[in-house]
Amino acid sequence: MKFLLANHIDNAIYSLKTSRLRTFLTVLGLTIGVASITAIMTLSGGVTAVIDKQVSEIGGNIAVVRPGGGSSFTDNLTDIVSGNFYRASTLTEADVSSLQEGFPKLQVAPIMTMNATLKSTKYQVENANILATTPALLKTTPLKIDVGQFIDTTTDNMTAVVGADLAVKLFGTTSPLGQTFDLHGHSFTIIGVLQAFNNPFNYDGVDFDNSMVVNLDAGKLLHNGFAQIQQLTIKAPSSSALDSTLPKISATLKENHGEHDFTVVAGKDIATMTSGLFRAVTSVMSAIAAIALVVGGIGVMNIMLVGVAERTREIGIRKSVGASSGTIVMQFLVEAILMSIAGGIIGYAAGLVIAFVATTQLYFVPVVTWQSAVAALVVALGVGVIFGLYPAVRAARKNPIESLRQYR
Amino acid sequence: MSAKKLPVIKLKDVTKKYGRDDTEVRALDNVTLEIDQGEFVAIMGPSGCGKTTLLNVIGLLDAVDEGSYLLDDKDVADMSGAARARIRAEKIGIVFQNFNLIGRMTVIDNVALPLTYRGMHHTKRLLKASRVLKSFHLSEREYYLPSQLSGGQMQRVAIARALVNSPSLILADEPTGNLDSRSSHVIMEELAELHREGNTILMVTHNPNLTSYASRVIRMLDGHVASDRKIRVIDNDKPEIVTLRHPEKTKVKKPKTAKKSKPASEKKLKSKQAKGAKK
Repeated sequence: MKFLLANHIDNAIYSLKTSRLRTFLTVLGLTIGVASITAIMTLSGGVTAVIDKQVSEIGGNIAVVRPGGGSSFTDNLTDIVSGNFYRASTLTEADVSSLQEGFPKLQVAPIMTMNATLKSTKYQVENANILATTPALLKTTPLKIDVGQFIDTTTDNMTAVVGADLAVKLFGTTSPLGQTFDLHGHSFTIIGVLQAFNNPFNYDGVDFDNSMVVNLDAGKLLHNGFAQIQQLTIKAPSSSALDSTLPKISATLKENHGEHDFTVVAGKDIATMTSGLFRAVTSVMSAIAAIALVVGGIGVMNIMLVGVAERTREIGIRKSVGASSGTIVMQFLVEAILMSIAGGIIGYAAGLVIAFVATTQLYFVPVVTWQSAVAALVVALGVGVIFGLYPAVRAARKNPIESLRQYR
Repeated sequence: MSAKKLPVIKLKDVTKKYGRDDTEVRALDNVTLEIDQGEFVAIMGPSGCGKTTLLNVIGLLDAVDEGSYLLDDKDVADMSGAARARIRAEKIGIVFQNFNLIGRMTVIDNVALPLTYRGMHHTKRLLKASRVLKSFHLSEREYYLPSQLSGGQMQRVAIARALVNSPSLILADEPTGNLDSRSSHVIMEELAELHREGNTILMVTHNPNLTSYASRVIRMLDGHVASDRKIRVIDNDKPEIVTLRHPEKTKVKKPKTAKKSKPASEKKLKSKQAKGAKK
């Protein structure tokens, strides 16, 4: 059997070589499918790794509360900006204060975001991201101040802290301390600049580098006196303290709201949830990859059927000199599998290239794992077996006498 | 001639049908036949009389619809497809009219093909194929493609392939049908040599001249065995033809080659199959 396999491989390589263009096109179909899968796996792995790292760097003692909860977890929680764009949040200022008062050891930072046009004396930035929060954000999120200071309890409502990139866009400098800008007719003064965060993917769901941070009262002022809080970021002194407090947090919030219209997430779930921002892209790409694989598989089947038809006479000859049906099945199956493995290997390499090229424009690096390599190969192999089996069985079932009668 | 040889092939009331209902054709119609070890049987008859079907059935390429076929006393109907394939690989060598070499494989690979299905190692396969090719004076053509050979050479390659497994049974379907008379002669001499070495050979042919090489001539008509004559060689110069089946005319004929001499003995062979014959 061992020698036969070597023989099948020799045979397959020979027949694939004799029709190079055909083989190349068939393999290309599979390559596209496998490349998409590899790119998706490495990129989404990269996103998850980035957020995981953030959560674990802080010590796994972070929890986030997001509005909604009656409907599906992922629907409501994928992205605090776009996900809740059209609806009013169920989280209120009262929640912030009751949690702070009920659990003095916790740091609770509300996240309220909105978009607005900012005007400085020199430049104007449209659709800029405004983040209204409390000084507690500096404790819950690993933000660092580059120059100046963060908002605190003593700072005026009309002061703001600017993200590193936005500072340059709005003022043309990385240190615009003391400069003013106009927002909805109100004039704000810059009191600090955030250090570059370099990552729009974080558990706050805020691209800090491109945000203007104001305090919650200013946020209310800009929002008709109402705080539209999209998330509460909570930090406990330790992860064990967090675990024991989580049920109580839920209970307090439920008491405030009268119903369970929020979701509390902690630990690794945050990464999964926040990377959901990437999930929409991932699911679309997965669908494309699946379609590409199926189409690639159909290509394999098609070419194998053509090969079987072309080699009908050869099949007859082989059978007449002693090949069993099983041997013929293996001969053609090996050929299909070789093509798909080639597609798998080339596709994996191409997928990595795509992922690395894509990340030159993104804020994270792709994560290359052995799992993704194995997945690419297994998927390719599966496609080869599934789509190669029917032509192979068809070849084996051919009547040797009729096959021999056929001229090539 | 004294020792009773064992029949390698036993066909009993074998029927093979093609088509259905009113288009049904009985390619083999109640054929009963025994072929002994070491016989050189020529099967003759007009086109469509069932000669090739008979050869295909005997070569395990086709299954019978009715009746039984015992090969080496084993009923082939009880064998699995894989077991039949193994017998084709080990015991049977088939030579076709149109050679049936695989065009994209070299001569030596074609000859080594049956050994592949016996699981023989690549190098051993090639060595053995090379030895067989040498005996057919084709050593210099080992790495040629079939398309680069003449018809006679291709048929010699095909015979080499049929023999590479040292089969006990060689089936030849019009082996000289596509060859000129000179190549035909060469091929027939090869087959005759194989027969002398003790191989059992079944050859389908249209050419009556070729029956002179055979030790037994079966004439078929419409799926029946119409006549079955054995040529008994008692003395090389004086062969004798004995009709095994032809109930009305069972008699000894004087062969052309023995015109001048009287038959040494006239002994009617009573065939077991005679009762099954209709003519």
